[in-house]
Amino acid sequence: MNIIQNRNFYFALSGLLVAGSIVAIAVYGLRLGIDFTGGALSEITVDSRIAADAGIITQALIAGESPALDSVRVQPTGAHGFLLRFKSVSEQEHHSIIMALDAFLGELLPAEEETDVPLEQPDVDAAASGAVVDAVDSGGNPVAIDVVASEPEAQPAGPEFLTEDRFESIGPVIGSELAQKSMYAIVAVLIGIITYIAWAFRKVAEPVSSWKYGVTAIIALAHDVIIPTGVFAVLGAVLGIEIDILFVTALLTILGFSVNDTIVVFDRTRENLARHHHKHEFTWIVEKSVNETMRRSLFTSLTTFVVLCSIFLYGGDSVKYFVLALMIGVIVGTYSSIFLASPLLVVWEQWSRRQGN
Amino acid sequence: MTASRQQLWTLFLLVVILGFVSGSIAVEQMPSWWPASNWFNRFRAHLGLDLQGGAHLLYEADTSQVTREDAESALAGVRDVIEKRVNALGVSEPVVQTANAGSHLRIIVELAGVFDVNEAIEAIGATPLLEFKTEAVPPAPDPLNDAQLAQRKEFNQEQQTKAQETLARVQEASGENFAEVATEVSEDPGSAANGGDLGFVRREVVVKAFGDALFDQLTDGDITPDLVETEFGYHIIQRLESRTATDETTNEPYEEAHARHILLRTKPLEGDVPEYDPWAATGLGGRQLKRSEVQFDQYTGTAEVGLTFDDEGGNLFETLTEANIGKRIGIFLDGNLISAPVVQQKISGGTAVITGNFTIPDARQLVERLNAGALPVPINLVSQQTVGPTLGAASVRQSMSAGLIGFALVALVMLIIYRAAGLLAVVALLFYTALAFAFFKLIPVTLTLAGIAGFLLSIGLAVDANVLIFERLREELREGEAFHNAVREAFARAWNSIRDSNVSTLITCIILAWFGTSVIKGFAITLGLGVLLSMFSAIIVTRLLVEFAGKSSWLADKKWLWGG
Repeated sequence: MNIIQNRNFYFALSGLLVAGSIVAIAVYGLRLGIDFTGGALSEITVDSRIAADAGIITQALIAGESPALDSVRVQPTGAHGFLLRFKSVSEQEHHSIIMALDAFLGELLPAEEETDVPLEQPDVDAAASGAVVDAVDSGGNPVAIDVVASEPEAQPAGPEFLTEDRFESIGPVIGSELAQKSMYAIVAVLIGIITYIAWAFRKVAEPVSSWKYGVTAIIALAHDVIIPTGVFAVLGAVLGIEIDILFVTALLTILGFSVNDTIVVFDRTRENLARHHHKHEFTWIVEKSVNETMRRSLFTSLTTFVVLCSIFLYGGDSVKYFVLALMIGVIVGTYSSIFLASPLLVVWEQWSRRQGN
Repeated sequence: MTASRQQLWTLFLLVVILGFVSGSIAVEQMPSWWPASNWFNRFRAHLGLDLQGGAHLLYEADTSQVTREDAESALAGVRDVIEKRVNALGVSEPVVQTANAGSHLRIIVELAGVFDVNEAIEAIGATPLLEFKTEAVPPAPDPLNDAQLAQRKEFNQEQQTKAQETLARVQEASGENFAEVATEVSEDPGSAANGGDLGFVRREVVVKAFGDALFDQLTDGDITPDLVETEFGYHIIQRLESRTATDETTNEPYEEAHARHILLRTKPLEGDVPEYDPWAATGLGGRQLKRSEVQFDQYTGTAEVGLTFDDEGGNLFETLTEANIGKRIGIFLDGNLISAPVVQQKISGGTAVITGNFTIPDARQLVERLNAGALPVPINLVSQQTVGPTLGAASVRQSMSAGLIGFALVALVMLIIYRAAGLLAVVALLFYTALAFAFFKLIPVTLTLAGIAGFLLSIGLAVDANVLIFERLREELREGEAFHNAVREAFARAWNSIRDSNVSTLITCIILAWFGTSVIKGFAITLGLGVLLSMFSAIIVTRLLVEFAGKSSWLADKKWLWGG
């Protein structure tokens, strides 16, 4: 493949994607999740006999008394599942919100179903609520024995028509702290990786000095992080997907990947330089190195990608968008290490040679 | 450096043993015919809260009332108290840790398998705040100016006139019904609606003038001939009946009367007493408590809570009782008055009894809580996460299938691309998976959803080292190298790339683990451990397998099998 020759095409493609991402981030902004803003998230499954949609549930919640529900957002997940997002609440408030929603859903239950035992109602409750057991005394006369619940008030009734699978409530202080911590982590990873790149390329000097490898790797790095962020800005605007702490983790992992691929290509360039630089031009050597390592880059990304696909499809909702971010990162990371980093290095070398002349 | 035959076999033996042991540990339940299956089955995977369900609670200590140094030790105290309370809930392996974020002192509580978070939060946060208070001295009334004084005098005069008229209405001559008039006229909010009925009252509970009139002046059925003036206003009192009752605690008889009254309120001429807390803090409370126990009253058999103070508390209690003989001492629990005994004499010895209307379970619970200790500083729940049991189980299932499918896909890709070498890589990958899981169980690493994603990701990365080696092998073979030389070259040259490329991932993992909340930590640790172990499996195990395969000249000659 003539990667170096066609570099302008690849630069244009990358430039377009990066510019598009920056525009998307500027226009839509990032939709931050409760991890960073504070708030509450509740995942519920409604009794399958009740026909409820997100609209009805939203109305019921907003009509409720709790001020935390004023800006509630309800998102359907699966057939009877819903994700509720609202402001952070105390446990009592949370409990009363769930119970109020439960009562509301109970009214939606079709009339002919009401005689059924409600969802998850243990059998003992029927006996505890004052059932009568038939018996006979020693004379054979029928005797009615009232079954009295020992501590009827001890068990606070849980919701009957919904189950809450997950609940999170994060105070605003914790949220802003986590946001700050994430910034620190990103900065720390960047410093760590830049230091590492500087160290890894300390020995190469001719004809391109080692810091140029480092800067090129970092440009590729920025490319690999900006594009997934842009994609998530769009996803946030279109599908309401939020940026959570897992997304930050994904970005940091992408940082690791991206530089990993780039380093392997540059390693090969270094090796080929030592072998061939008397006979060949820098451009030729880079082209050869990229082509030699391309299979490796593609196959490694492919194996990582198929694993990620498998998690994306079968691994459940909680990590779905985390994995999606990683998938995007693997694709752009592989692309940048082949089509962006090395061609950039060549352009730089040519440019500085012209300057020298 | 081709290893000698002997070295090769030793290495092979070691790898086989390691594979057997880690595989046996990694599998959740080995069949009973498996050697040492009982021992291997002892190792359990540690599942995080998102996989087994449970509650994650984050508390922040309110240390505004204590100094920074005290705050640290107070926080340790809070942790111990919470630990005791959580243990009382019967949670298996609860996690209670302090976590400081800058100036914020925090406690993390993780309760696996607890779904009734309400109950847990109540048990943890319930601060049995025990306080002893004394009767407060009423503050001086606000003085009145002349105009106000004149106005009040006039008002009181009007009330007196009105009371006189009412008295005339209820006196027998006019024969109006006392209760009806009381309902119409009386300004006592407590009794007016009941026709002025006060029920049976003891002399001690009413003001002196009222008591004197009721018990000394009146006989059953009488209405006071004149108005009775008290600090509240003008009363018209009727004594309905009387009887002798026995005091429950002292066992002494006393007289009580059933009375009804009509009250016309007056305003005090000294001015109004500003509102005040009738109870004054004393500094004596749960902090000075040594222990408490359930006791039973020797006469009535009702449950009581006995308290034993430490030295400081004992002295304080002695001083308090000495200064308040004849007055009441209020015992408050969580801000509620539960009993207010009148002090008969100075009490030394540092013990006290709370009598209240305790049921036995109530008394026992209070004692447990008091003994667990009050929290040294108040705490607030700032964040909570709860995962229900169904979601956790579903997540485990989903992770399992995602892992198996992902593994199968990777194996397929490797077999298609690298044929025989791919097969060896898959064997090495199996070895790696077993080794990693054995490590997760032995360390132990708590597996979360993100952690499993990290591990699965490391499977993808684990083959990277193999890919690097096999690509080199393929190149060397194409350049016409003999198989053994090609293997040697491939491993030697690929090593630099393998090392360099993994370092950046490891840097990221270390920072994530350091920075991490538990979710991120789980991911970083499994991914980082995975990267390290995969380097081992790729370099040692794959190499061993390739060398063994190369021993067969039939295999070594078929270069296409190795991608060549």
